[in-house]
Parts: sequence; structure tokens; C-alpha cells
Amino acid sequence: MTAFKRINKPSHIDRSKPISFQFDGKTISGFAGDTLASALLASGKTLLGRSFKYHRPRGIIGAGVEEPNALFTTGVGGRTEPNTISTTAELKSGLTAKSQNAWPSLNFDVMAVTQLLSPIFGAGFYYKTFMGPLKKSWMMYEPVIRKAAGLGAAVADVDTARYEMRHMFCDVLVIGSGPAGLAAAVTAARSGSRVVLVEQDFEFGGSILSSGNEELERWRKAQISELEKSTEVRLLKRTTAQGIYDGNLVVLSHSPENHPALMITEQLRASNIIYATGAIERPLVFANNDRPGVMLASALRTYLNRFSVAPQKRAVIVTNNDSAYATAFDLAENDTAVTVAEHRSTLSGDLLARAAQLGIAIFPSCGIADVLGEKQMRAVRLSGRHAVTIECDVLGMSGGWSPAVHLTSHGGIKPKYDEKIAAFVPGGFARSHFGAGAINGTFGLLASIREGDTAARAALPDSKKLKDLDLPSIREDRKYSIQPIWSAAEKANEKYAFVDFQNDVTVKDIKAAHQEGYLSVEHLKRYTTLGMGTDQGKTSNINALAMMADLRGLPIHKAGTTTFRPPYSPMTVGAIAARTVSSQFRPKRLSPLHDWHVKNGATFIEAGLWMRAWYYVWAGNTPETAYIKEMELVRQNVGIADVSTLGKIDVQGPDAAEFLNRIYVNGFAKLPIGRARYGVMLNDDGVVLDDGTTSRISDTQFYMTTTTAQAGEVMSWLEYLLQMHWTDLNVYVTSLTDEWGGVAVSGPNARRALQFAFPDAELSNEALPYMGVKDIEFEGVAVRILRLSFSGELAYEVHCCADYTTSLWEHILKAAEPLGIKPYGLEALASLRIEKGHVAGADLDHRNTLDDLGLGKMAGKEKNYIGKALRFREDCQAPERWSLVGIECMEEGAKLRGGAILFAATDEIRGHGRGYITSVTWSTELNKYIALALYNGGLKHEGEDIICAFPLKNENVKARIVSPHFIDKQGERLHA
Amino acid sequence: MLKRISALASAIQFTGRGLNIFEAPDFRLTQYAGAEKELKRALGKIPARAGVVLEHEGQTQLRINPTQIWLVGEPVKDDACISTSLSSSRTRLALEGDNARAVLAKLAAIDFHPKQFKAGSFAQTGIHHTPVLIHCTDENTFHIYAMRTFAMSVWNAVTDAALEFSA
Repeated sequence: MTAFKRINKPSHIDRSKPISFQFDGKTISGFAGDTLASALLASGKTLLGRSFKYHRPRGIIGAGVEEPNALFTTGVGGRTEPNTISTTAELKSGLTAKSQNAWPSLNFDVMAVTQLLSPIFGAGFYYKTFMGPLKKSWMMYEPVIRKAAGLGAAVADVDTARYEMRHMFCDVLVIGSGPAGLAAAVTAARSGSRVVLVEQDFEFGGSILSSGNEELERWRKAQISELEKSTEVRLLKRTTAQGIYDGNLVVLSHSPENHPALMITEQLRASNIIYATGAIERPLVFANNDRPGVMLASALRTYLNRFSVAPQKRAVIVTNNDSAYATAFDLAENDTAVTVAEHRSTLSGDLLARAAQLGIAIFPSCGIADVLGEKQMRAVRLSGRHAVTIECDVLGMSGGWSPAVHLTSHGGIKPKYDEKIAAFVPGGFARSHFGAGAINGTFGLLASIREGDTAARAALPDSKKLKDLDLPSIREDRKYSIQPIWSAAEKANEKYAFVDFQNDVTVKDIKAAHQEGYLSVEHLKRYTTLGMGTDQGKTSNINALAMMADLRGLPIHKAGTTTFRPPYSPMTVGAIAARTVSSQFRPKRLSPLHDWHVKNGATFIEAGLWMRAWYYVWAGNTPETAYIKEMELVRQNVGIADVSTLGKIDVQGPDAAEFLNRIYVNGFAKLPIGRARYGVMLNDDGVVLDDGTTSRISDTQFYMTTTTAQAGEVMSWLEYLLQMHWTDLNVYVTSLTDEWGGVAVSGPNARRALQFAFPDAELSNEALPYMGVKDIEFEGVAVRILRLSFSGELAYEVHCCADYTTSLWEHILKAAEPLGIKPYGLEALASLRIEKGHVAGADLDHRNTLDDLGLGKMAGKEKNYIGKALRFREDCQAPERWSLVGIECMEEGAKLRGGAILFAATDEIRGHGRGYITSVTWSTELNKYIALALYNGGLKHEGEDIICAFPLKNENVKARIVSPHFIDKQGERLHA
Repeated sequence: MLKRISALASAIQFTGRGLNIFEAPDFRLTQYAGAEKELKRALGKIPARAGVVLEHEGQTQLRINPTQIWLVGEPVKDDACISTSLSSSRTRLALEGDNARAVLAKLAAIDFHPKQFKAGSFAQTGIHHTPVLIHCTDENTFHIYAMRTFAMSVWNAVTDAALEFSA
């Protein structure tokens, strides 16, 4: 005999659309409109899970998002989703669901043996027991405990579903589509405002869907119909408002239909928010209140009226408030024999009369002493003076209603306790926020509708002229009456009286927490795990904190609540990441020459967001061999490299020279037109910010280049200085990094190569000396030739607007082909500069001073510049600072490595050493590994032997400190 | 002859339900900077304030901040204020069709509702973490000015967001 049956009663399921699904490998049928839970109940399944800690048999408790127990793993492979809430999961054809935390089966779960040990498994058991005997013992116990306890498990497969994100805006957001929400949305919509109505369910209507009332159903449909006709209304079913943030930003998780995305995370900015989030029924706490078949009274009503699922024969309702009588009456009207265990001693006449009409037996002043049956309840034993045992299929419990104050609390407004309804209500509403209906503790249906209407009018600027809202023709609301009961468990059975069903927390655990000093509700939560998990204590929190208040002898409002945090209900991580996955994890920055590099055999390396050509296939198939060939090409002949990634900034205005003179440590005021100068800029704390060359194009225009890494930071710095500090300077800066592409032509034959490419341009050493700049026009395109060298060779940079850079590059390659010109990549580029002793991003760790880099003499003594004052701090001038040195490998066959820790030859190899290698390369000129490094005391130690330790590979290599300028110290090649 | 090559040379036009996405190349973009009177002297009539567009004699002026204006069209030859060519620095994507606004809503935190983001509006915002300027040129037609070096990433993000409108 099963506990439930599908009855022939009109409801919201569509019997013309049967749906098959799989549960634990068996095929089961339901109907369109069912939830997974309702279909399982209709098919007679009540044992649906095993509890978190004790593996006790569990069934369905609720009919909505509050469900703590009936969680399943749905889907397969990459689409596996653990902890799916069956009471909200819409039944879909092909759905596959598996029970969790049971082995080998739900019916026979080996781990159920832990129930026998439950007396010692109380709150804090793990914390006390598994800490020893060794310091790291917990690491040994943890995997075993995790395997024994818990909910569903995530899978390692890649989630194949698509998730999206969108940004939306509206005038009025209404959260919840029950009576209050529908009313609010309709009133707001009539004003022509942009309205969004969100509903977590797959049907609009909230509690109306469970009412079984035809008039309410008519009213519900009429409101939805009106909303559907309003062009400025967005109706979002299957959508949960997960969190409320500053600026009325609301995060919604929406499961769309007929859409490539499984879920859309919507960031909705609402001018006004109306909370019509309703209330959640509380369980009562008594012995074995977790047995399958014990449910919330309102859930029984939902399954009956919405899904046509009724108990087989007999139901007992236990309550401390009036609301449970709606369930009792509806069940009785549908041929269920109903008995009510009523905690209160008196009851209003209308309820008594109606109960008598329907043949419902009411036992006043009593509750439930115990529930009999294990995998399916079969009877209850009443407490109090009517200590009888009543056989029944189900037990519906109602401990009152807790308004869903989660969202209103997200902004930091704590809820307040309302004695009249024995529940917490919002402690207030932020400006432009409103509440309507059960969230305010207004449990009457007509009152809720009126509050919805009022909230919408309050949100709108001119609402008086709006048409009055139609009300359903139903009886006026009854007054809500409740006598709070927080624990009805007899002392001997407290260990079986569950407060938190999901985390197996009992009355005994709460008492233990109190005894052991965990008095605050926040400590209670952490010590017992109460209120954690996927349901976040939606059914348990209030009962628990009221019990703690009672134990402490405090009024409930003094005990307070735990903190409500987003998300309101579980969200898959994929929905948060949305499209920021895989190739769209972050943007890629591509040089204007990128496509050419792809077509011509470049291997790429990421440098920040840039994709840079690392080396080319012509030189080899591995970076270790290719870059050496490319270096040799530059040292011996001529190569061409893409330097478009350099930061480029247009500095213009009558005060541009003065501006640059303040920015750089060295002088720029008198830089002649047509000349470039290397400059270093400091932060205002005297630490090196960046270096680069700046060229003077005219009296009032300069062309600045920065390092690739610091381009954005330098641009922001310049804008900041002009807008905040030097508003008197008439200067404008514009980033040209994207506007201009650049190529470096380097090597002894560089001039010849460019002369082949630009035969009409005068490029002799006299016409374009080292650090000279020349603008030419080539085939109608403006080209800037800068005689600069990063490699230490005779070299030029050729810049032109990015759209023509590829064509220009191809032109140079073709023109200089007789010389044997070839491209070289980032690895060779970076290695060539190490040989020359040029510092770059790797060597600048944002702690270096000018003197650390050997550049102190560059700084102007007379002029002012940013960072000058703090550059001379005592610590910045300390003699033992880590300063730039060169390092030569002294061990044949050994290799220097970036990041190696440096020790003096006589040091013990231990600790942080005296410095570290910042850049390393094989030198084609010296035939050995060389490096740049920062070393304690810098070049004072020139000529000393050191040890380069690389503990990761257990290497200690002998090396020597030398000048960082490994080649051409006189600069003859540059000036050739 | 040097050849002009777009950052989106390898991109394929997206044609879907109520939506076309394509590159709108071959435009001239010049930035003019200066004080109000200098801008007026150089450009004549200018947008009244930052964030406003002025369509004037076949040219479009986008006042991107109080002291800078983007001119889309032939540059004016006047040294009354500072000018900087940015034609290569931005790649222009066009979205047109009834579903263009829905796609944009997935890309930037801007209210693209037709009553809010009307023809002639523009916004400086971000797509896929990169700065862009979005200009509504007609009822359901938009130009996105993306940084050239990020143009392919922006294109990929835009066409990916359009997946639900695939033909």
C-alpha cells in the first residue's frame, strides 16, 4: 500500500501530456505540470533519500524551494547536477534522477548503521574527536567522513551546458507572483511603467496555485492575461531573485525555455523593488518528525490542489495555528479521513463548525509524541491528554509561517520579530523598496492583494489616476491566530526531534551547543551546522533560534537571526561564470600583424592579454633552438620584429614639453624636433614606474612610447596628473597604442634593408643619427622611422597606422629579401636586450629605485620631477639595496634559470639569499648563459663568484657577477 | 601600394533572425581636444555637452568628454584645437535588426530600451572587459567602436551573444 495516490480532481497538471522519467533506474510516469516531487509521490514513492549524517530514511517535506530532504542528482555526464530540489524541478521528458547519500540502495543503505551511533554523533563530535592523536590527523579522517556523510557529489566532467549573462533595467521589479505580487505588477503595469515580474516557479500564482479555489484561479488568469498584453511588462517564470545589491541591482537566475542557454543570470537594475516573496511554513519539532510521510501541512494542500495527489486514506494534521485547517478541510472534501492534533486549547467557532461538517476529529491541547514507522510512517502517537495512537498515511505539520525576509535582509536591514504572528518580518525597507503580502506578515489573501496594489502605487510617481484593481469575489480574510510552539519534543526523545532536516540537527544538539557556550545564533550555526547546506535553514532557522533564546532566557528578538546572504536558493557555478569560460575567459589582444604571424609559422605566447609571436618556424620547432637562430640573424645580418605592442601616447599642447620635463627624471624641455630621448619616470614614491623613448614631432607634439606591460598604467598616470594636479598645463594625452603599429628592423644590415624598402628616404647616419626621428610618406601612408635600438645593434623602429602595418611589414620583408631578412620573435627580442643590458618588465619589480638600476646619473639635478623628493629617502639610498647586476655562468654545461636565488660563494645555501635572477638567456656572443639579476649591494660585488640556487630542480650553479652590459659597451654598433 | 587591412579581415558576417552583425569599415575618426571655445572655433557647431551626439553636414560628432570630441567623417583642417587621428585605433562593428538590443543587453550594463537608448544616443562602456563606444545610429542599428587590438575578441563576444538568434 502506498501513502499517496493520484486522484481524479481538476488541477494544474495536464493529463493529456504524460511524461516519462527515470528515478534510480526505473521508468516512472507523470504529467506536464508536475514537479519531480509530485510525480514521485503520485507514483507511490515516499522513501526518497537518506539523511546527511545518520542516513535516516527521508521523504518529501515541502512543496517548494524550502525542501531540505528530497534532493536528487539529475542528468548524466557533464550535465550532472547534484542536489536538484525535486519540489521545484519541473518534470521534463527524459529527466533522469538519482537518490543521494545511500548505498547500495535507498531501501537498504549500509551506512544506516550510523543511526545506532547517533548518541555519540552529536554536535561538535567531529571537532572533538578527529583532531588527534597527531597534528594532521584530520587530513586522514576527512576523506572518510566526507564519503560517509553529505549530499550529492559534483562530477569531474566538463559542464556542456551554456550559461549566459545579461543586463536589464526596469521601473518596477516585483519579486513573487502570489496574490500580492500579481496585484502589484498589474497596478504598476497600468501606469505604463517598465515592469518585471519574477517567479521562481514554472507557473505564476504563488499560493493561489495551491488553493483549489475556482474564483481565485479566475482572478489569477485575468491578472496574467492583462500583464501579458502590456508591452512594457516582462514576465519571468522559472526565475529566482538570488540577491539584492547596492543601487537596486538584483541578480536573477532565469531558466529560459527554447533557448540555447540552460540558465541566464540577469543583472537587473530596478528603480523600485516590490517584495512579494511570501512566507514559508515552519515544521513542528517532535520525535521522529523526519519520517517519510511527515510533511508540511501546506505541502499536502499543494500536492492535493495543484497536482491532484492525495493521501491514500487517512491524514493527521498537527498545528498551532489556523492556516493548517485549509489543508484539513481540502483533504476532507476530497475523501481523506482527517484528524487534527491541535496544540491550542481553544479554537474559533467557524473552524470547529466546518470541521464538524466534514467529519474531522480535533484533539485540542495536544501535539505529536512520536511517529511510528521507519521507511514510511504508519501512525502517530498523540501527546497530552489524548495519548492515543492514530494510524495514518501522512502527517501534515504546521508550526506557523516565516515571512521570506531573505532578500530584504541582503542590504543589511535586519529583520524584526513580530509577536503577533510569532515570526520575523522585514526590519524596514530601503528607499524605493516596498513589501506586500505575507512578507509583511499579512497572511490574508484579500489583504495581500490590497497591499500589492498599495505598494505599486507607492512606487509610482502619479498613481492616483490609475484604475482600481479588481478583487476576487471571495470571503473576507479570517484573522490569523497562532500559539508559538518551538519544541514539542519530550525530553527523552529530543535526540530524534529534528530541527534542521538537511543537516540532522536535533533539539539535543541545540541544547549541547548551549551547554558548551555556543550561545550566539551565529555560533550555534557554525557548531551544529544548523542552517547550512542547500536550503540554508529555510525551515529550521526560526525554530532553532527561538529554542536558543528560550535556553538563554532571552526574548526572541534579542537572540536575533543569522545573516542572510545571497544566493537565495542554490545556483550552479556555471551560471555565475556565464560566458566567461574557455576561449572567452578573457579577451585576447592582437597585434595588427597577428594574422600574418599565424600564416607564417609563428608560435605564440601570452604576454598579459597580448598574444605575441614567440618564435618562427623558419628558425626551428622549439623555442630553445629557434630563438638562438633568430638572435644570430640579428647580430650578424638583419631581422624584423613586431613591436606594435609597445605603449604609444600622443602628448600635445603648448605645455607638452614642460609636462614631459616633470614626468621624466631626465630633461625633455629642450629636446630638439626630430630627436628621440630615452626617459625614465618614477612614481611619486620615488620608485621606477616605467621607461621608454619619447620623440619630439613639433614644438607642441611629442610621441611617447612605453613598455608593453606598463602602457595602460602610464596612460592613466598621465591623465591623473593632468586632471588632478596640473590643471594649469594645457596638454592633452591620447593613447595611440591601437592607432599605430610598429616593426623593429635590427642588425648590421638594418640601414640597407630600410634603404631597399624606402629608396627615396635619406637614412644615412648623418641624416638619421642614433636617436633621430624622421616622418616620411610612403605610398600615401604616413610612416615614422625612429632610430632606436633595444637589441644593441644598428636598429630602427618603423611605425605607421595599424591598418597598414601588415602591408608595410610585407613590403620591408620583400624589399630586403636579397639581404636575407627574416622575422624574429619575442624570445629573441627579449634575449638580445639582456645581452645589451636593457632592463624590461621582468627586471622591474615595482620596488626598484633609479640607483638600483644604475640609472641614478640620468636624473636632472636642478629640475624637479615626480618622485624626486622621496627618491632620496634614507632607505632608497641604502648601500645594500638589491641592485641590477649581470651574471655569467661559470660552469660548463650548466644552465642559469630565471628566479634562481643568489648566494655568495661562501654562503650556506639557505633562506632568501642575496638576490635573484630576473632575466636569463643563452648568449650567442659569449657562448654561455648570462642573466640580469637584482643583488644585495649590486655592482660593488662585480667580479665576485656566486652560487645560483634553484631548489625546485636541486641545482646550485657557479656564476660570477659582472656588468649588466655584456656586449658593445661603447655603443659602437648603435651608432654605426 | 600599401594595402589597408582591417582587424576583422577574417571575420564572417553574422546573419540571423532579426539580426545582422558585420564590420562597418572605411571610416575616418579624428579626435579634437581643447577648451569649449577652441573646439567651437575648429568645428563650428559642436554637441552641447559630453555624452551628446551632433549630426552636422554629413558628419557625426560624439562628445566623449567636456574637452574631447570624436569626429566621424572627413577631418576638418583647423589648428584651433588639437587633433589626433584615430581611424586605425578603432574597429567598427555594426548590429542591425529587431534583436540587436537584446544582444547588446548581454554585453554591456547599459539600458538599451528603445525609450532610453534612442537613435542618436551613444555610451562609452565596456564589452568583454575592453572599452567600447556604442552609438545608436538608427532605431535598431548600432555601431560599436572597439579598440583595434581587441576587435576580434569583441567580435567573438558579440556574435557569441547572438547565438540565440542564429538563422
